Amino acid sequence: MAPRLEINGLSKFFPGVRALDDVSMSVEAGEIRALLGENGAGKSTLGKIVAGVYSRDQGTVLVDSAEIGTLDEKAAGDLGIGIVHQEGSLVPQLSVAENIFAGRQPTQWLGQVNVRAMREQAKALIAQLGVAIDPALKVSALSPAQAQIVEIAKALSRDLRILILDEPTAALTLTETEKLFDVVRRLAGNGVSVVYVSHRLAEIFSLCHSVTVLKDGRLAGTRRVAETSTDELIRLMVGRDVHFSRSAAGRRIGDIVLEAQDVEAPPLVRSASITVRAGEIVCLAGLIGSGRSEFCEAIFGARRRHGGSIRIGGTAIDPKGPWDGKHAGIGMVPEDRKAAGLFLGMDIVNNVAATVLSRVSSGANFSNRKAEALARNFVDELRIATPSVHQIVGNLSGGNQQKVLLAKWMAMEPRLLIVDEPTRGVDVGARSEIYRLLRALADKGVALLVVSSDLPEVLALADRIVVMAEGRTVGELRGDGASEEQVLRLATRYTASVAEVRKQPGMAEA
Amino acid sequence: MQITQPLAETAERRRENLFVRIVRRLADSRELTLFVLVVALALAMSIVYPNNFPTASNMRAVLLNLAPVGMLVCGMMLLMIGGTFDLSVGSTLAFSGVWAGVVAGWWGWPAEIAVLVGIMVGALCGLVNGLIVTRIGINALIATLGTLTIYRSLTYVTAGTGVTPITDAFAEYGRAADPLFRIQSPFWAMLVLVLIGGWLVARTRFFRQFYFIGGNPRAAQLSGIRVDRLILIGFVIMGALAGLAGVLGAARLNSAVVNAGVGIELKVITATVLGGASLKGGEGTILGGILGVLFIALIENAMIINAIGVFWQGLVVGLVLLFAVSLDRFKTSGRA
Ligand SMILES: Nc1ncnc2c1ncn2[C@@H]1O[C@H](COP(=O)(O)OP(=O)(O)OP(=O)(O)O)[C@@H](O)[C@H]1O
Ligand SMILES: [Mg+2]
Repeated sequence: MAPRLEINGLSKFFPGVRALDDVSMSVEAGEIRALLGENGAGKSTLGKIVAGVYSRDQGTVLVDSAEIGTLDEKAAGDLGIGIVHQEGSLVPQLSVAENIFAGRQPTQWLGQVNVRAMREQAKALIAQLGVAIDPALKVSALSPAQAQIVEIAKALSRDLRILILDEPTAALTLTETEKLFDVVRRLAGNGVSVVYVSHRLAEIFSLCHSVTVLKDGRLAGTRRVAETSTDELIRLMVGRDVHFSRSAAGRRIGDIVLEAQDVEAPPLVRSASITVRAGEIVCLAGLIGSGRSEFCEAIFGARRRHGGSIRIGGTAIDPKGPWDGKHAGIGMVPEDRKAAGLFLGMDIVNNVAATVLSRVSSGANFSNRKAEALARNFVDELRIATPSVHQIVGNLSGGNQQKVLLAKWMAMEPRLLIVDEPTRGVDVGARSEIYRLLRALADKGVALLVVSSDLPEVLALADRIVVMAEGRTVGELRGDGASEEQVLRLATRYTASVAEVRKQPGMAEA
Repeated sequence: MQITQPLAETAERRRENLFVRIVRRLADSRELTLFVLVVALALAMSIVYPNNFPTASNMRAVLLNLAPVGMLVCGMMLLMIGGTFDLSVGSTLAFSGVWAGVVAGWWGWPAEIAVLVGIMVGALCGLVNGLIVTRIGINALIATLGTLTIYRSLTYVTAGTGVTPITDAFAEYGRAADPLFRIQSPFWAMLVLVLIGGWLVARTRFFRQFYFIGGNPRAAQLSGIRVDRLILIGFVIMGALAGLAGVLGAARLNSAVVNAGVGIELKVITATVLGGASLKGGEGTILGGILGVLFIALIENAMIINAIGVFWQGLVVGLVLLFAVSLDRFKTSGRA
């Protein structure tokens, strides 16, 4: 039988960059194919070409043996090609239901939109992902995880032949991920071909049938999942071995840098306390919606605090805005790099300079020379793949954007660096580099507070793990020796009262 | 991904012919595009109308007439870089001019005080705009559309049909001319503002913050930039500039006219966008803005010399605007 999707000799050029170079692959009906590769390897570009977002420069794409010419997103959709974009494509001002059915709303006899029917269908689509989101809500009111669910529901709202999922789980929790996998498996069972992009190797082994690896825009190999191993895939992707072991060398942990007590920032933060010492990496774990990010924002000054106290190096601070937090020596890498982190239309130089305007100036003058030097340093140090420091950040691949975001805050040389989801959408190689960088920062005496939903990441990084649930810090574990299970138990155990959890044997009070 | 030589000739680009490449090069720098257009237009006019265009008196008239728009463009460019704008500038200009006239002409206070009062009134109008936008959170289009009518109405309330004449001492502020070129003070004031403003916005880190705000206000806020405070300052600067333009205009005519500056906001915004500002914010330079003003002024002048009716001017300026903005599509740095 002819393959569902066949790609032959596909190439794509951007100014100064060859994103795809003579790539061929074919996917059978009902097959779930993983697409792997480092940041900037060309995965998203490939997905976008198949989905009609980008035009191709060379090569052919065949769907069910029929060659598709140049097509736009709508034509691709009509062919049954659905895509969930890595960077999100929802219109924040419109409702969930309107986003899902954009341009194809169910209508009544005069052509007016049948809002009721639209909302009901949207609700059903979302429900199969095991989540309840009010379809009448505006997308701007959703959390990143909820927005991701809506993206997926939107792709599922059509009759699909091919579904491309570009890092769909980056913002999801375990349960939501499992639900998504169920849906994907069911679709594949019905003959839909799935192209699944992810940096999480474990997901690929549990979900996919086969895997294609890209390296530097070229095909590095295709394997059946049953016949390959993590090590082999990493070698294909990175060209060397990568390890995530905890650093054995003990760090010198110094004085308390951050001491936050009973911080209240309704509605999501009820009563949270934490201390972080110089040279220490503390991970804040918990389910999505447990108030971790909001707690961090309250410490930084990006969210109104109603109660509690915050001390930095023993001095009480009351940040009224991020500038106050920054002034006290706090940096914060936000979770949502596109909306809150980066200046996508500006180049790397300006993005990196944004937090350190006074340092890249001589007197009152902004010095392009100093800013460029600073950016160049970080491009080298973090190995950001880019043709030049003047590349527009919006044109970088997702993982390289994440590195620019980190650079922006490392440039500020904070005493306390809060990092919300440090490796979202980052490839294995870069991930181990980011861990190395964070550890190096801690070695230099920076206090690090890391929020992460990725438990292996928490276990690899943390000196101490603080768990939040329902807006409260409910427990604390030592980093080495902790298991995923222990963390999860703390995060979900919270039921009737905090006191109950605190009575659990073997758990220090938070 | 493989990184080829920065901006190397990819297959795609090699296929382009010379013409496209020239257009692309021009489109990459709006300032360069405008500069070439301005020079070309001036040359063409000098050749076609050697007796009317390149004369001292015509030049003087052109430069003097563009002075108020030029001053306002400095402020509007700053606001648009920061992702916002002010529609009330024309009314602010009239209101400030009338207050200067009242203080000097009716109350008989010294001309210096009148000038200061005029500028302060303008700054105050800007402050009110800024507070409405940043504190109450009303969108700039609605907020300044509201104050556009409010300030105009306050102008009528203050001075009825205007103040004419004001005083000779006051008029001197708008009429003093330099001995060499004999161009009156509004032009020189504008030139100084453009030079200082151009330097400030292009170079200083304080004004650089406006680019970040326009680029992504939320990211700017989270980077520790005081977004609201800066936008407020931007509006105050805009108001003060409108105040200055109003005062000098009133002084030059020795008459504070209540209808001064009607519709000027559209001309200012046209020049600003022509000069490289984007409605999304984060882009533009003062130099571009002033070249935009110059370009529009030349086109208007050409039409006057050609004796083409004023009715056609809007059409031509509009077409030029659309043309210049469509050049953006050729930019190499833009997203694919
Ligand atoms: N619109 C664009 N303009 C210029 N360059 C681009 C554009 N889109 C992608 N690129 C470049 O093409 C290369 C491939 O990018 P792509 O987004 O496909 O990578 P990716 O494999 O999806 O990486 P990631 O894992 O980080 O998401 C990158 O170097 C990127 O900078
Ligand atoms: Mg990608």
